[in-house]
This record gives sequence, C-alpha cells and structure tokens, in this order.
Amino acid sequence: MPKSEISNQIRRLRFENGEMTQQQLADKAGVTRQTILAIEADKYSPSLTLAFRIAKAFGLPLEEVFQYGEKK
Amino acid sequence: MNKTQKDALFSITMSALLLAMVVTIAVVAKLPRSLSWFWFLLTYGIIGLSLVFLRKRQSPVEVDLDERDKLIKRRAMLTCYFSLWGFFIATCTIPWLIVGPEGSIPVCVLPVILLGVFITVMLVNSVAILIQYGRGGKHAKE
Repeated sequence: MPKSEISNQIRRLRFENGEMTQQQLADKAGVTRQTILAIEADKYSPSLTLAFRIAKAFGLPLEEVFQYGEKK
Repeated sequence: MNKTQKDALFSITMSALLLAMVVTIAVVAKLPRSLSWFWFLLTYGIIGLSLVFLRKRQSPVEVDLDERDKLIKRRAMLTCYFSLWGFFIATCTIPWLIVGPEGSIPVCVLPVILLGVFITVMLVNSVAILIQYGRGGKHAKE
C-alpha cells in the first residue's frame, strides 16, 4: 500500500514574502515556531484548520501551500 | 524552546533534586548525629525554592500551546499510563522477591515507594515530551 505524504512550500513562500521569519509566520498562524519548523521539515502534518491558517497568512489558496502526493 | 519543553526540563530538574534529597536523607540518617541532616534538607530546600522563583517566564507574546504540543502531551501521558502499570508490577514483585511471600516490610517504606513511583512517572513524562520534540527546538532562528 502506498504511503501518503503531504509536502509543502512554506520555506519558499516565506522567502518570497519578504524573507518572513518562522516566528513571524508562527505568530500569524497562532502556533509556536517549533511547529512551523516541524511542518517545514515534513516531520508534522498540520490539521486542516492550521493548514488553512498558514495558507491565509501567505494570502494563497491551500493547494498552493500544501500538496498531497503518494510515496511508495 | 517553547513552554512545554521548558516545563519538561523544569520537571526533570525538580525530579532529580527530589531524588537527590531522598538519597541524602537515606545516607544522612546513617551518619552520626553531629552531622545534622537538617542542614542538608535546608540546602536542598533553598535550591528547590530558588528554582521555583527564578524560573524564566514565558513571553506573553508567544503562543503557549498549539495543536502539536497537545498531541505531544497526549502521547507522553499515554507513555506515563503504560509505564505506571510497569511500575505497579515492579512494586508488587520486587518486595516479593526480596522478602518472600510471607515476609513483611516496614510501614515507612511504603511512602518512599509511592514517592519513587511518582518521581519516576514525572521523569518518564518529561523525557517522553523532550524525545518527541527531538532536536527541532535547538535549530537556529530563521
């Protein structure tokens, strides 16, 4: 059975948005900096609510920030 | 380092201090009366209280607890639950093995066993939290 994987573009988007720091994004999304760090490193998959909040912080639709793929 | 990590580290420090205090009491109780255990207790008491009062406060701007922290805490509690059963089995079997099924232990040992289990569970909880955070908290700010 293929293993699901959620990837994200947070790191790239942060730098494209005036080199936003992890702390600034964390403050906008209402989470700790460690959580942003874990999401960026694909060590933690956020809830749907948090994923929407992060996308909103960048002013982008969800699918431009998070992508769902299948990994064998 | 966020609030949950700080709390876990604080718990480990306090547990280590408490264990040291228990060991000190056990050792000092066997020493001559000239070396009063009161001074040992006073020293540890002062260190413990200073840790409580000098504990670094979390910035009010920072988020205290988010969904990942809650998940980590829940997993740590689950680890505690299972470890508690392990300690329960250990506290039942170890005295059995030491004094035998017909043996007896002093009443004063029971609170020590309870305290030991309490401290150990607290340590398990804190270590489980820190392990789950891994090295993520040590990364440089970007």
